[in-house]
Amino acid sequence: MSADLATRDVALVDLLDRLLGGGVVIAGEITLAVADVDLVHVSLRALVASVASAAPQDVEGTAREPEP
Amino acid sequence: MIELYAITDHPGPPLPPVADTTLATAGAGSLAAVWAPVADAPAAVTIDGLRRHEAIVEALMADRNLLPVRYGTRVPDDGAAARLLIERRDELARALERVRGTVEVAVRVAAAPDASADPARALAAVHHPLAERARAATCRVRAGGDLLRGAYLVERGDVEAFAAGVAELQDDLADLRLLCTGPWPPYSFTD
Repeated sequence: MSADLATRDVALVDLLDRLLGGGVVIAGEITLAVADVDLVHVSLRALVASVASAAPQDVEGTAREPEP
Repeated sequence: MIELYAITDHPGPPLPPVADTTLATAGAGSLAAVWAPVADAPAAVTIDGLRRHEAIVEALMADRNLLPVRYGTRVPDDGAAARLLIERRDELARALERVRGTVEVAVRVAAAPDASADPARALAAVHHPLAERARAATCRVRAGGDLLRGAYLVERGDVEAFAAGVAELQDDLADLRLLCTGPWPPYSFTD
């Protein structure tokens, strides 16, 4: 796995956390198509494994530049 | 149907161009919902779909304060979006005020390989010190294989200093591994 890809996948776990579990719930009901949920779960498991084995130098300062 | 992306101030700066769709706003009083038209099917949970949604919210975040809307929030039309803003005006305005000028930084804490560490250790060694540097903080323990997943609301201009603080913490913690990402829209601070 390239460094860029590793960084993207590390951020993907945080992305999933935020989009699926965060944000203001303004409408009473949210419907998500579940056809691809397995894909998400599989990816999460794979990523959790890579996080657990992350070396100290894998600590990211910040994945993206702060806003100007 | 339309999909909602964020609640922002109304009026706001011009909407950014985004790929494959055209953003619009539904304004009501001092608040606006940013939306785009979508097909009449449930939002698909795909990596590409999530990334596309995030790219839109981050483009909006570049030049305005916002409350990100939960992924998959769809209403019939812009009139329905405006009515939601009116119904929950006070609550949404307060929530937008709380995040004004800030972004969210994520920090995940895992035990180092061959180290034994528990969530209490992660709370004391990482979460509590970081929370003191943030305007607001929240965390979950034992989440998805991590000891702790923290979210920190940080002034926009303080992100680099905050990330440097995370790196300094890591230098002193042989038994923990920290992973810091951001800046994110304030997904964890919308209540």
